[in-house]
Amino acid sequence: MNWLAGYRTGQVLFSLFAGLLLWEIAGWQFNTAFFAPVLGSDVGFSNSIAHALANAFGYRITEDHPGTIPKLISSLDLPAILERYADTRSGGAGIVASILAAFTASDLLMAMGSSLKLFLTGLSFALLAGLGLGMAMARMPWLRIALEDYILGLYATPMAALIPFILAIFGFEFWPKVLVVFLFALFPVLYNTLEGARSLKPEYLEVARSFRTREWRLWKDVIIPYTLPFAMTGLRQGVARALVGMIAGEILLNPTGLGDLLIGSERAFDMAGVLATILVVTLLGTVLMFLVRAIETRYIKWGASLR
Amino acid sequence: MSVSTASAPPSRLLWAIIKASPFALKLLAGLVLFGLWEVCTWAFAAPFVTRPSGVIAKLPAAVMSTELWAASWSTLSAVLLGLAVSLVAGLLIGVAMGRQPWVNRMAEIWVNSFYAMPMVAVLPVLTMWFGYSSGARFAIIVFAALFSIILNVADGVRNVPREYLEVARSFRAGPRDIWFGISLFASLPYLIAGIRLAIGRGLVGAVLAEIYASVSGIGFYILSNARALEQDVAMCAVLILAAFGIGLDAIMGWMLRRWFPWYRREGRE
Repeated sequence: MNWLAGYRTGQVLFSLFAGLLLWEIAGWQFNTAFFAPVLGSDVGFSNSIAHALANAFGYRITEDHPGTIPKLISSLDLPAILERYADTRSGGAGIVASILAAFTASDLLMAMGSSLKLFLTGLSFALLAGLGLGMAMARMPWLRIALEDYILGLYATPMAALIPFILAIFGFEFWPKVLVVFLFALFPVLYNTLEGARSLKPEYLEVARSFRTREWRLWKDVIIPYTLPFAMTGLRQGVARALVGMIAGEILLNPTGLGDLLIGSERAFDMAGVLATILVVTLLGTVLMFLVRAIETRYIKWGASLR
Repeated sequence: MSVSTASAPPSRLLWAIIKASPFALKLLAGLVLFGLWEVCTWAFAAPFVTRPSGVIAKLPAAVMSTELWAASWSTLSAVLLGLAVSLVAGLLIGVAMGRQPWVNRMAEIWVNSFYAMPMVAVLPVLTMWFGYSSGARFAIIVFAALFSIILNVADGVRNVPREYLEVARSFRAGPRDIWFGISLFASLPYLIAGIRLAIGRGLVGAVLAEIYASVSGIGFYILSNARALEQDVAMCAVLILAAFGIGLDAIMGWMLRRWFPWYRREGRE
């Protein structure tokens, strides 16, 4: 690999290309229910590319393989989105309203919206509960001493084991799924805020007290600024786990959103559809992790300047 | 036990208890929590819903039954075997990524995207490849565990103090000694942090696979008992699963404190 040594971006792009090429070749080798290539040959542009390449290299395509990217594009359904947008615009709706209406024309975007709604609802409840309880434990050490072992235990327990209970007790509508996401995300947030609470020096509270700090100033100036950087580390772990909880809830309770796309394609032996959905889920996860990492770095700097 | 005098005193009695022993306070908190659970289920929930008194009543019979232990062993052995496989593969790939910049640039994008992939999402693919069988469970355990080990080992190898390598070179150490004699050992704390993460992720993966693909094991034991309205028995299995999680985590934490007391860093997640 010496010939690539000087080109760092080149190496990354090469690796990306090599991986995708391997995926494409592997996809053509197997049954369509077992594996799907990236581009494949079932619709429009991928079909013409595949046949042109086959002609150029003297191969004959005996069986068409649906590809992952064409599947993704077709379930995104751009023409339908544009058409819906034009319809609602000409109907006299505002720009924002017609963009929102246009999104409902696409199966993929609808599924993504439904999954994100579940994710955000569960995560915000987990964040509220985790931050609230964690900061209360920073303020009241006796509460921390009383609860910390139980929280540690629950942090190490695989929450996936509680899904059958949730299914049996609460059923499989929207709120039971929110409960799944909540349980997956809560304990990382709570555990890390608890770590912050544990390391908050009693002297800080004592100094504040001796300057006759009011209760709300104590929270605003000491407790919240001190524990927030810890909580943000928890938020990063919580987002990763909440994503797992989101898909688990959508697969194991009743199928909705991206989980429904995943299960539906699997039942139809449509591997291209399964891979396309996994691609979307991974992109969603990467974007969310990127955002959370940006937030976390900001608070880590803040936390470092405090210490 | 030092307790802040600055915080608002809850009550004299409570402070007396805390001063006497924090253990009593923890016990009291546990009693309050379980008591609340018991009262709430009596008051609001259907009779089949699990409650502490029911779990205590069912616990001896469940723990004595071979069924529960067979299920637990099936899950635990799969997780341990999966960990062993991902440990070997993860060490090789991780050390290579940490030592060779070009391997790192080639592999990083793939490792990171597989790591960011929520593991449940690959469950349908794995069941299509390996069938609704314990093969799919094993595959998801490796998938869940492998990438956190690779990333942590690579981090560890990259952060080997440069002086170690300089000293080793000046004593004419070969590449084999540098890779496996120094880099690997200097990155052991990171490796343990990675294994700790991998255990948690592997257990979650195993349970999800058992529930999804009906593979016999502790997750399926919980599912079938919860479906048969035997939630108290299912809760006994959850307790055993929690004990696995806490126990394995405690062993790793102990190893870290015992052999690497200077080490303070949390793993990636």
